[in-house]
Amino acid sequence: MFSIVDVKIGFFLAIRQIRRASIWTTGLIVFIMVLTFLNLVVLSGILVGLIEGSIEGWHEQYTGDILISNLDNKTYIEGSNNIINILRNIPEVGPMSPRFIKGVSLEANYQTKKDTDKANTASGQLIGINPSAEDEVTGLASHILEGSYLTPTDYDKVMLGYFLLDQYITIDSPDFTVLKNVNIGTKIRINIDGTPKEVTVKGILKSKIDNVSRGIYMVDSQVKNLIGRDDGNFGQIAVNLKNNADPLEVKEKLILSGVDKVAKVQTYVDAQPKFLKDIINTFNILGNVLSSLGLIVSSITIFIVIFVNAITRRKFIGILKGIGINGRAIEMSYVLQSVFYAFFGSIIGVTLVYFVLVPLFRAYPIDFPFSDGILVAPLNGTLIRMGLLVLSTIIAGYIPARMIVRKNTLDSILGRN
Amino acid sequence: MIEVKNLVKTYRDGEVETNVLKGVDFKAENGEFIAIMGRSGAGKSTLLYQMSLLDDPTSGEIIIDEQDAHKMDSEQKTKFRLQKCGYVFQDYALVPELTSLENVVLPILMQRVEKPKAYDMAKEALLKVGLSHRLNNLPSQLSGGEQQRVSIARAIAHKPKILFADEPTANLDNESSAKIMEIFTGLHKGGQTIIMVTHEEAYSQMAEKVVKIDDGKIISIINT
Repeated sequence: MFSIVDVKIGFFLAIRQIRRASIWTTGLIVFIMVLTFLNLVVLSGILVGLIEGSIEGWHEQYTGDILISNLDNKTYIEGSNNIINILRNIPEVGPMSPRFIKGVSLEANYQTKKDTDKANTASGQLIGINPSAEDEVTGLASHILEGSYLTPTDYDKVMLGYFLLDQYITIDSPDFTVLKNVNIGTKIRINIDGTPKEVTVKGILKSKIDNVSRGIYMVDSQVKNLIGRDDGNFGQIAVNLKNNADPLEVKEKLILSGVDKVAKVQTYVDAQPKFLKDIINTFNILGNVLSSLGLIVSSITIFIVIFVNAITRRKFIGILKGIGINGRAIEMSYVLQSVFYAFFGSIIGVTLVYFVLVPLFRAYPIDFPFSDGILVAPLNGTLIRMGLLVLSTIIAGYIPARMIVRKNTLDSILGRN
Repeated sequence: MIEVKNLVKTYRDGEVETNVLKGVDFKAENGEFIAIMGRSGAGKSTLLYQMSLLDDPTSGEIIIDEQDAHKMDSEQKTKFRLQKCGYVFQDYALVPELTSLENVVLPILMQRVEKPKAYDMAKEALLKVGLSHRLNNLPSQLSGGEQQRVSIARAIAHKPKILFADEPTANLDNESSAKIMEIFTGLHKGGQTIIMVTHEEAYSQMAEKVVKIDDGKIISIINT
């Protein structure tokens, strides 16, 4: 075991070796440690962030903080207006957007279609919204790609998600049809339970969230009549909370008020599609595997650095032993040097991650096809990785130092093998 | 103080065996200044390394300060060297990243001496070798003679029982060599036991006893 004097002497030697070593060598080693740290944190952080971007999009652009939706055996939320009143009495509840939801099919170019031609159709969810309420909850207006956003007085006008239009998506699948030759101002038919309704395309929406990019948006008052919901019961209510209130607490309040008897009450986390949850778990595992490989690489790097350092200084290690310096104190000096490299590299890495990369990725997300990838680096995970890096470095620094220190003292002094 | 009985040292390199020491008997008393002389390859440095516990003999006995070296493990030998021995090497053997003062204070600190006292002892030793003005210089900023004087200061700072010196003047010019020998003579006058390997006939005459060695055996012991 290392005694206090071993640690003191080790520290005495380490600090002077670092201070008086070539600044370029020290800089290079610290740079390698920074890269290793970034490899540990950023690689897995981007993998998770890729999905996190999708989840955030799902949260911000579709569900809000809480999503109340119909029970599985119903097509609407019974007593929707009661629920809205309950929501209004919960102080944490901010803006909300009740939606009518109905599965419909669309048809275009029906006026010029010959009997022998295949119908130009697509299907999707008709979503009846209060345009301003929806924009307040999900910022839908900011996703307009072409044309303009709905106003409350718009009648017979729709906004289409761009996944429904041939000019934006080139998927050739019999199960997934898109409308051809549809642009702003084009008249299309919405078939609701077999009843057609002609509407004009007012806007085209672009989002990486499927429910938005495949949605057919209309003003709620008209949808209510089209789908025959005279009772005013909605299909969904997306709710945002004030002041970063905890969605779980509000969910509990809603359940206590009995809302769960007539509707599904989900936080945005509950409402995530299962495939997203599965991908998160998969990417977490993948991230950990890649991090482990990074850790092995960094350990080998430090091993080589300390080994080369120790072997080139073998003579001086022999002299130190010769004049009576304990081998453990010499080993400690190398361990402390390794700790310095790992700790200093990690500190620079942490600074880069939290003050440069996270804000940078937040401001300029990576444009993945299905999400805006951000960098996810939770502090506790980062600290654990930092701890692992320092620990692996201690071991990687200790082993070569021990190998050299154990060599015969006189052989080391005389440079004999 | 040191007694060596039938000391044998054999180096093996594969099948080849080289007998460097072939049964050496030797004794040094407290306060003696002994010069070991001999031609290159005679075994004088090897004898010094065995006596100073830097190396392990193939066979034979070494009694040093009434302790049987054979019964000490590696850690005990290191501790013994730290507390009882001082070393001056031919090539100075200073740690390049440490200043003169740091080189000298290191073994004192290792002996758990309080920091202020350790630094005082180190400064005193450097003063003794005439380097009180070079405390904060790195070895690379010192001449060969100065480096050797730092090495001597390191060896004597903790007041060792025996000072071992392996050709301390071999790499130095005449002036520096004379200065080193002057320091050794002064130390000896102060009661320091010194065992020194040297090539130089003139410097060996400064010792009170000259041990001549050839082909791994002591051939003469002469009182000067």
